[in-house]
Amino acid sequence: MAISGRFVLLVLLGVVPVLLLPGWGTVLLVSGVLAALAAVDLLASAPLRTVSLLRTQPGNVTLHAAVDAVLTVRNDGGRRLRGVLRDAWQPSAGAQNAVQDIDVPAGESRRVTVRLRPVRRGDLRAPHATLRSFGPLLLAARQRTVQCPGSLRVLPPFHSRRHLPSKLRKLRELDGKAAVQIRGAGTEFDSLRDYVRGDDVRSIDWRATARRSAVVVRTWRPERDRRVVMVLDTSRTSAARIDDETRLDTGMEAALLLGVLAERGGDRVDFLAFDRRTRARAGSAGQGNLLGQLVQAMAPLEAELIEMDWPAVPAQVRAVSAHRSLVVLLTSLDGGAPEEGLLPVAAQLARQHVVVVAAVRDPQLGTMLGERDDATGVFRAAAAERALLQRAAISAELRQHGVSVVDAEPHQLPPRLADMYIRLKAAGTL
Amino acid sequence: MTGAVPASAVQGGIDADQASVRGTGWLRRHRAIVACAAVVAAALVLVLWAQLSPKGDAVPLSVHNAGPDGARAVAQILGSHGVAVNDAGNYGEAMAALEAGSSPTLLLYDRNGFLDGPRLRNLAGSAKRVVVVSPRLQTLDALDAGIRQAGVVPDAYPVLEPGCSLPDPQAAGTVSGESGFLYDGGTSCYRPDGSGAGLVAVSSDGQLTVVGSTAIFSNGQLDSLGHAALAIRTLGPSPDLVWYIPTLEDLDTGGSPASLDELAPDWVRFLGPWLALVALAAIAWRGRRLGPLVFEPLPVVVKAAETAEGRARLYQDSRAVDQARDNLRAGTLVRLSVHLRTGPGATAGQVIEAAAEFLGRPARELRELINERPGTEARLVAWSRELDTLEKEVKSR
Repeated sequence: MAISGRFVLLVLLGVVPVLLLPGWGTVLLVSGVLAALAAVDLLASAPLRTVSLLRTQPGNVTLHAAVDAVLTVRNDGGRRLRGVLRDAWQPSAGAQNAVQDIDVPAGESRRVTVRLRPVRRGDLRAPHATLRSFGPLLLAARQRTVQCPGSLRVLPPFHSRRHLPSKLRKLRELDGKAAVQIRGAGTEFDSLRDYVRGDDVRSIDWRATARRSAVVVRTWRPERDRRVVMVLDTSRTSAARIDDETRLDTGMEAALLLGVLAERGGDRVDFLAFDRRTRARAGSAGQGNLLGQLVQAMAPLEAELIEMDWPAVPAQVRAVSAHRSLVVLLTSLDGGAPEEGLLPVAAQLARQHVVVVAAVRDPQLGTMLGERDDATGVFRAAAAERALLQRAAISAELRQHGVSVVDAEPHQLPPRLADMYIRLKAAGTL
Repeated sequence: MTGAVPASAVQGGIDADQASVRGTGWLRRHRAIVACAAVVAAALVLVLWAQLSPKGDAVPLSVHNAGPDGARAVAQILGSHGVAVNDAGNYGEAMAALEAGSSPTLLLYDRNGFLDGPRLRNLAGSAKRVVVVSPRLQTLDALDAGIRQAGVVPDAYPVLEPGCSLPDPQAAGTVSGESGFLYDGGTSCYRPDGSGAGLVAVSSDGQLTVVGSTAIFSNGQLDSLGHAALAIRTLGPSPDLVWYIPTLEDLDTGGSPASLDELAPDWVRFLGPWLALVALAAIAWRGRRLGPLVFEPLPVVVKAAETAEGRARLYQDSRAVDQARDNLRAGTLVRLSVHLRTGPGATAGQVIEAAAEFLGRPARELRELINERPGTEARLVAWSRELDTLEKEVKSR
């Protein structure tokens, strides 16, 4: 049961007879007439028991993109359904027109399209939809809420995609496809070919040249079919917001760029989100393309407010890949935890694998460092200095154990991690 | 272990000292608020005291008013001479007192003319004698005893002689004529020269006495000239005296105009309730929600710099100047070492010497700057700026 603005206007108009013929009798009469009108209208409205809703699941969408969610309203009753439909998406789904007028003749169905512009990553839900059916006078309405669960998976935006072309070009340069050959780029002997001006003279293969009249050079190609294992830390430290996104989101961006790049580089990629148990897993071994698998695996991830179980990480990595691999740990270097958790595990992994630790640095610390105006500012600078020194100490210790460290600000982390991968590949250490 | 005990005792002493410093510091920081609070508290005390203290009567010629223009003195003198002074608060009480007393005298001081004709006549009829102080024209007209207003006493006569044959003025002698009114008719006394009207007028039947000055009865001037004698002789002949000063309560409101409610047309009574009904309908219209709210799971997000900021506040609250200095010094040395490429194992001394060589400045000067231990916050700020400048100098070369 609900009333319309039109009914309120009618009640306001009721003041005219009340003022013209003042008296309690008039008041009662006018109120009675109004109530009777509303009751008649309510009884004449289309019953909602016979209306059914069918939802077409909108599927996947990347963050900040738009998608249409479709609801089909079917009216099996004998009266025309005129009213309002509200598709109850959760607020972060950003429904542009959640409340819409509907007009469904008896025995027919109509489609209602709601435009969604999600503002958060993850699985967004619409548990129910609400129907309001007005009578012919549009004064009063029946209302009913129908359970028809809908779900929309919002995928990580992959903003770091814009770095992909340049990084792929760098990778191809390694691959011997570019005109300029760099000696030592890669470790595997590829083929012999004629010397072209500009080639490194050190790469001339004299033995082959002796057999032929022309000068012949050797070409190399980078190693292929190596394993890349990315471990994304989803523990409490990943809930920290730096600039406009959490560490978790920055880690995802970096993992996506590295994953796509490594796959193009001919390597096998595995992704693992872990805190105390495995939150998500994806890899080249699965069905479909890697990027799709990665974003699907990452979409529902949230930072869990628990401590990372570092000692369990080597076993997880071993379960993914038994061979020597590039292990990328996307985590943080802050606080007192790394000494106990990250350091020994990274050192242990580094004995078998090539380990890279990628962490986001907070640009705010750099800003705080420059505050020298008053005592408050200087104390802030001192605190920031301490945080940065701690990070530097941990980085130095990691490097001592043969672990590479990528410590960069949020928008810099994905390309820097990609650079690190290309460098390792070029050095042939994988 | 034993060595630690005196150390902690000393520490405690320093803490207590700092606490007292911090107490005055708090006062200084919040002095505006403290001053405002003090003023408000003082005002509150004053108001309370004024409210709780017994309230005096400030009505002129009131028997309870002990001020200069009150009449408590004359009432008490009369009382001690056996005259029952009956203070009437309103018309009803005055009438009741007049009827209860035996041959009562009525003192009436109606400055603002609150009493109307019938009431005045009732009062005059019930009293044996009526003494009216400075009456208005309407009062005299209503009493209709042949006494009229005749202006004020000229400034040239500050003191008036009795100048009549009545015994009371004769006995009392001179009275003050300041700000007095003159009355004509009956037997008038205290006449200024060349005037037929006087400060005191008695009607021909002796029932009505008009006195044109409040000074004669007032506490302030009762003891000057012949005021006391005149007042007591005028008011004291009968054993009962009704002292009546009409107030606003005594206005007759019987014929007041109709109220706004009665003037408004009938329909106005229904307008309000009907508009309330419209408001209720509007509330029902807007208040009915279109289905239940949808739950939004909010992830926990914490600002990453929060820990550093918290540590900064801790440093400041505990005035950890030394700790801050150590951090800043270490940070500067690390950055200088990276910039000057002294290698990871370089000591502070080596970095300082490298920087001195790089800048072409004496190493001693730089060593003093970098190794300085600022004692106060102010010095820490200045020192950290110097350090910053040094760093920029190295990096700009």
